Amino acid sequence: MAQDHKSNQPGKANKGEYEVTDMTMKFGFQRAKKRGAGSLMAAALFLALPLSPALAQTLTTWDDYTAPLQTEVITKLNEKFLADHPGVTIERTGRSYDDLILTLKLTLASGEGPIISKANQGAQEMGAMAKQKQLLPVDEYIAKYGWDKLQSDGLLARDRWSDKGEFGVGATYGISTLGEMVGLYYNAKVLKDAGIDNPPATLEELAQDIATLKAKGTVPFMIGTAKGNMSLHMFAAVSQATIGAADRQAYDDLVYGHGGSWNTATNVAAAKQVQDWAAGGDFLDGYQGIAEDDAVQLFVSGKGAFLISGTWHLGEMTGNPDIHFMGVPGGSGVKDSLVVGGVDLAWTITANAKDKATQDLAGEYLNYMVSDEAAAAWATAGYLPAAALKADTVKVPALLGDALAVWNTANAANSLGHYPDWASPTMYKTMTDNLAILLAGGETPEAFVAAIDQDYQAYMAAPK
Amino acid sequence: MLHTNTFGNLKYVLPALLVYTAFVLLPIMASIVLGFTEWGGIGMPKFVGFANYVALFSDPMFFKALRNTAVLMVFYVALPLCIGLALAVAISNIRPGERMALRMLYFMPYVMPSAVLGIIWRWLYNPIFGPLNQVLRAVGLGALALPWLGDFNFALPAVGMVATWYYLGFCMAIFMAGLQRIDASLFEAAALEGASGRQTFRYITLPSLLPEIRIVLLLTVIASIKSYDLVFTMTRGGPANETLVANLYMYQLGFELNRYGYASAVAVIGAIFILVVNGIVHRVLPTDGDNA
Repeated sequence: MAQDHKSNQPGKANKGEYEVTDMTMKFGFQRAKKRGAGSLMAAALFLALPLSPALAQTLTTWDDYTAPLQTEVITKLNEKFLADHPGVTIERTGRSYDDLILTLKLTLASGEGPIISKANQGAQEMGAMAKQKQLLPVDEYIAKYGWDKLQSDGLLARDRWSDKGEFGVGATYGISTLGEMVGLYYNAKVLKDAGIDNPPATLEELAQDIATLKAKGTVPFMIGTAKGNMSLHMFAAVSQATIGAADRQAYDDLVYGHGGSWNTATNVAAAKQVQDWAAGGDFLDGYQGIAEDDAVQLFVSGKGAFLISGTWHLGEMTGNPDIHFMGVPGGSGVKDSLVVGGVDLAWTITANAKDKATQDLAGEYLNYMVSDEAAAAWATAGYLPAAALKADTVKVPALLGDALAVWNTANAANSLGHYPDWASPTMYKTMTDNLAILLAGGETPEAFVAAIDQDYQAYMAAPK
Repeated sequence: MLHTNTFGNLKYVLPALLVYTAFVLLPIMASIVLGFTEWGGIGMPKFVGFANYVALFSDPMFFKALRNTAVLMVFYVALPLCIGLALAVAISNIRPGERMALRMLYFMPYVMPSAVLGIIWRWLYNPIFGPLNQVLRAVGLGALALPWLGDFNFALPAVGMVATWYYLGFCMAIFMAGLQRIDASLFEAAALEGASGRQTFRYITLPSLLPEIRIVLLLTVIASIKSYDLVFTMTRGGPANETLVANLYMYQLGFELNRYGYASAVAVIGAIFILVVNGIVHRVLPTDGDNA
């Protein structure tokens, strides 16, 4: 999802769990109803006309677009879809990420719930629902509408589950609207004030910049680890930045559950790097007690030179024109470093779409949600569309321009990486718990890597 | 009108009984049954006998949650009881107007939902924006300005202190009511006999308040074993499970990892603990009737 990295994580990565949780909005025919005699006449005329099956349909949709700006965009998109589909009604429910993952599976299991829903791609959500036939494959619509030309196969693979429960292969169960990446936000003014004219191009330059910033009394890294997700993103970004696109197969295999080991020199080095940063005082003092939202707020206000996090913060970061976005620099000699990222929760069609007409209408809805028009609407609002944007037709904020450049490069070079916690249902907790201990100096990088590998191997050995 | 036979009277309690059965008894029974199954929330539960319980008693995370729950008992039970008792005795001896004002002030936190208090205290403890650390820095004690809820050593006590603050007013109110129940002639006789304040408290006040102490113990012990909302809103069990408690572990297992059978086993063990501890309290402390 756009605000989160839609991992298996229990808590929201970076948005308030306490904001809007449930709102139902009705559009379409119901919305268009007029009061008074005119509406009665219209209704009489309407009822007298023979209805086609499509005209009588209601689409119940669940999504996680609960932030005000997101709600505004999805509302407009729904209205546009309805304008093109007279007589169709949309009953939309917007739920926070936590509420959505808590309720979707259980609701579908009871035979109730939406016809269309956003769903998390991990084993716990999409994998489990695909296995129970609660979701319908959308391959027919991929072929019909050409979604495979809008989004790379690497992105679509994140919605694939085989009948045997294998991730990344088999039928495709959804498609996403938005893309996500974890990268390096930097404040150009803070860097310049410290005598640094350009952002770091390599990890070695980053180390030099950190030393310079510390000497000037500037906080190098703004970070808050109270909820664990920022440290996970930092570790993942540093780790994957040292893997070139040409060497990505082993990492793909790990995340897609094909096997392998987390106990690699790359991961140990990345763990050591973040531990050294923490021990060296390169993080904001008191970082353990603040959450990501606080860290972002401080960064936007001009505190700190760097912040490693995702594109879901682009909107907030736009508040400070000195802030820019780039990929986390890789080690020298690494070509096309992997960029942690993926797509937001996928639009899926549930088993509640009983008949072909409803399924096709749902397919049309999904097609509209990944259309150029929808992508333009999201980009205009500052969000990163998963589909390639026709940049010449859309005016995007400057910071989104930075992110789009990284996104396009990553897609072209096949260097879009993964959220490592997708690798097992418990990996998010294992990683965040152990990262807290690692940063506090309570375990060695080797022990940290061994702990996450143990989690993974236990998952691989368990019956699927 | 009451009937002579039980079934005739059943209709009077039937509406309440139906609601109680639907929302209390059936879920309890469902939890007990689910504790013997492996169930991911969808599909049919698979019967596994006592496997969940066997796994539970070799689960280090479960024992960590129990240990943290035990530590929190100090903050949920012992401290509120002692401070509440001291406050009740102290406040009872001041003028009525001041007594009422202080009683209201100390009791006020108990009126608030504890989840809301958790959110407020999370902000108070915030190491950057929170007033606690700002005050510490302002008075030159910046070295004590810790990342409270992110600190491995202080996170659990920091959560616990909020529980103490929450429950002490409640304990105080119960004890103040108890003090009003004690026959004033006992205190007069003690004064005439030249008993000191400490002796009066030791031999009159404390024994007379045993029924109230018993009530307070029962309620706060249950609250400590049930503790969830403060931890959930303040730390979600972090950092690295340092504030994980049994109920939060149950939530994580059930609603985050979809291990509903295992989570139900945790719930059943928690319920058994509450029954056992309350049974001990019942046996050790006299009932109202015993004391009378």
